Amino acid sequence: MTWLLANLETILLAVFGVSALAGGVLVVVLRQPMRAAMALISTMIFLGGIYGLLGVHFIAAFQVLIYVGAVMVFMVYVIMLLDPRDPAFRRRFSPLLFPGAAVALGLAATLIRGVAPGTAPAAAPAPARGFSLAEFATAFLNQYWLHFELTSVLLLAAVIAAIAVIRVARGDHG
Amino acid sequence: MDKTQALLVLALALFSLGLAGVVVRRNLLVMLMSMELMLNGVNLSLVTFANQMGAAEGAVLVFLIFVVAAAEIAIAIPIVLLLARRRHTLDADAYADLKG
Amino acid sequence: MPELAAIALAPLAGFLLNGLLATRLFAHRRGHRFVTLVGCGLPIAAFALTLKAFADLAAGGYAPLSQTLYTWIAIGGVPFEVSFWFDRLTAVMALIVTGVGSLIHVYSVGYMKDDESYARYFAYLNLFLFFMLLLVLGRSLLVLFVGWEGVGLASYLLIGFWFSDPEKAAAGKKAFVVNRIGDAGFLLGMFVLYATLGTLDMDRINAAFLASPGPAVSATLVGILLFVGATGKSAQIPLYVWLPDAMAGPTPVSALIHAATMVTAGVYMVARLSGIYVNAEGASQLVAWIGVLTAFFAATIAVAQHDIKKVLAYSTVSQLGFMFLAAGVGAYGVAVFHLYTHAFFKACLFLGAGSVIHALSGEQDIRKMGGLARRIPVTFATFAVATAAIAGLPPLSGFFSKDEILWFAYASERGGSPWLFAIAALTALMTAFYMFRLLWLVFLGRSRLDHHAAAHVHESPPSMTGVLVVLAILSAAGGFLSIPHVLEPLLPLPGIVAERAGGHVPIVVLSVALGLAGLAGAWWLFGGAGERAARLDGRAQGLRRLLEGKYFVDEFYERLVGRPLVWVSEHVFLRLGDRAVIDGTLHGLAGLAQRTAALMGRVQTGHLHFYAFLALAGLVGALAWSWRHG
Repeated sequence: MTWLLANLETILLAVFGVSALAGGVLVVVLRQPMRAAMALISTMIFLGGIYGLLGVHFIAAFQVLIYVGAVMVFMVYVIMLLDPRDPAFRRRFSPLLFPGAAVALGLAATLIRGVAPGTAPAAAPAPARGFSLAEFATAFLNQYWLHFELTSVLLLAAVIAAIAVIRVARGDHG
Repeated sequence: MDKTQALLVLALALFSLGLAGVVVRRNLLVMLMSMELMLNGVNLSLVTFANQMGAAEGAVLVFLIFVVAAAEIAIAIPIVLLLARRRHTLDADAYADLKG
Repeated sequence: MPELAAIALAPLAGFLLNGLLATRLFAHRRGHRFVTLVGCGLPIAAFALTLKAFADLAAGGYAPLSQTLYTWIAIGGVPFEVSFWFDRLTAVMALIVTGVGSLIHVYSVGYMKDDESYARYFAYLNLFLFFMLLLVLGRSLLVLFVGWEGVGLASYLLIGFWFSDPEKAAAGKKAFVVNRIGDAGFLLGMFVLYATLGTLDMDRINAAFLASPGPAVSATLVGILLFVGATGKSAQIPLYVWLPDAMAGPTPVSALIHAATMVTAGVYMVARLSGIYVNAEGASQLVAWIGVLTAFFAATIAVAQHDIKKVLAYSTVSQLGFMFLAAGVGAYGVAVFHLYTHAFFKACLFLGAGSVIHALSGEQDIRKMGGLARRIPVTFATFAVATAAIAGLPPLSGFFSKDEILWFAYASERGGSPWLFAIAALTALMTAFYMFRLLWLVFLGRSRLDHHAAAHVHESPPSMTGVLVVLAILSAAGGFLSIPHVLEPLLPLPGIVAERAGGHVPIVVLSVALGLAGLAGAWWLFGGAGERAARLDGRAQGLRRLLEGKYFVDEFYERLVGRPLVWVSEHVFLRLGDRAVIDGTLHGLAGLAQRTAALMGRVQTGHLHFYAFLALAGLVGALAWSWRHG
């Protein structure tokens, strides 16, 4: 029991990681978009858990808030709006299933082979606790304030684009 | 395999899965979801590196990726809706208008 | 510094003013006065400047004047300069060109006043004068050649002046193409000269050929090559065919370019380079024989023509032949003398013909004229004087020059021979005959006008008849100024063969007799109702058809050169060269690109999955490569 408590963090990390991976596989494999969406939500939540375990709680919170709360809810609504008789809902895979899967496996293998020798630099500063919210906030608002402001421009552009797309959908090209 | 390495392998696996999903899935929505999966893989790797190095920059980047993802989905979803209304299908193979 | 350049530049200014401003700036009627002022004023200014230059020349004891304007190009230290040269010969030529030119400009004011391209006409005419003066004044053969080509251009533009008529445009084209053939020879001659002497200045060339030992090049070769150019420009056998067609241009143009000035450029060139021809016996013989044969054949053709301008055109070809005959036997001064008298009487004849055509509202067929003497008396009088002059009746100008030509053709020790003389005399007889025939058919006898034309016959305005009168006076009196004598220090006359020295007086008598015989023959044939001519016509149908058809030389050239050229162009150049080789190569390359593109285009399926797959595969490939080589 004490061993369990002592290694709780590692165990949780492993459980969350395996679950996130399983969710990812399900996203690719499940036929119904709604189920795929649910699988993706679960993956995201597990990832949020991993972030929490790593100590970056605010990222975990954003992960759940933005991804699950905004993006995926949006996605789910759209799925509900769509016509389930669409053949795309019944036929799962594209004609490139086997070559695609094979090459994707190759990609995974290649990438993982890249990290296999070990990543830790010999003399890493490696403060075990990672970093705090204060550090993040300082870096964010001192060094990256311009990037932060620019994201607002990006969001504005996205809003305008969305409106434009909707107007096209309505058929008035004003 | 230490913790960092394991997390990186997970991130890369998620990224590869997402890319595979884009290639093998037929439904446009699921392809979008696969792309979100890829982004999540990237996020995970960034957070892992940031944690390892004890630097906040990785987290800042993750934050920016959140914004990009939100913007992306804000545009992608109306387009998907538009396509569904025009052609009554989300089969990506039905849209081959750019054939050379 | 003598202002020689100004002489040539004055008409150029006229061309620029009229060509650039008048055709654009003013409306047709409003610009009329401006165009006239510029178009006539600047040639007259050029004439005045020439007179001034002549006065300078005389004041300087006839030492040649020269002016270097600028260095055109320098190749390997040898400068090609745009420089002008003014000696006795230049003075005579420049005075003819600017004097007769100015008169014809003035005449054109009346003749062209209703033409809608009035400004364009004067611009071209001034351009012609500029190039002609460049030709005459140039010191270097290169400047002469620029003028030579330039007058060809102006001639082309003016022959095709009414270019909306395809036949007239084609006549301009023909003149241009035929002249190019001659120019090829001329250019070769220039190359040979430059390669041997290293200079193209004509005074230096003459000096080099007259020095002993002469240059290391055959004078005959150079002489023949340059003469090929002259046969083109001065319409000699075998390249004379363009000149009769050139009559498609406005009549004053025919008078200025195709009678008085441009076509005499070849004669001028031979006289100017007499240093070469003096030493080139073979080339001189060729010049003389070509000249006399051209004179003879053109005269026979002129006998049977019905178009008033065609008769005059063949007459011009014939008279040019006389000039070359004189040049060929070494009497360059005499050739220039005939050039000078010919400029007056032929310009007068052409302008008179223009006046007739003007009076008859465009009619040119002499079979539809007759009896015009009383209706347009001034034109008749001047035309008659000029006719008598060309026929060689004393004491008119043509008598003096033609008599000298006949004399030197017979007696010159540089190739004169009884044969040349015989043919020339026969030609002189025919000249008198066809000119009086023309006079008779146009002005005398019974009127053959149709009623419509007859009602509109009118004498030309004073600006035209005034010019005619001036030219008639010059044709009559011009012979008393002995040009050969004036030019003698520059162009010495050839010696006389001793045993023929006594022949001069009989030849003078003969030449007058020939003129009178021509007059009598024409009177006898065409006098009264012309029934004798009709009877003769009936008896010599074949000959008449041959002469009317101009010996079918055009048709012969068409068979010999035209059609084979068309065949070669069609089969070899077009089908094989152009379509098979050039087009084939290009189409082949284009096809290759197209097929490759089609092959590559297969990749562009339009399927998103496929693109994503390619990106994925590329990513894997790039990673694998970098892993291996990193």
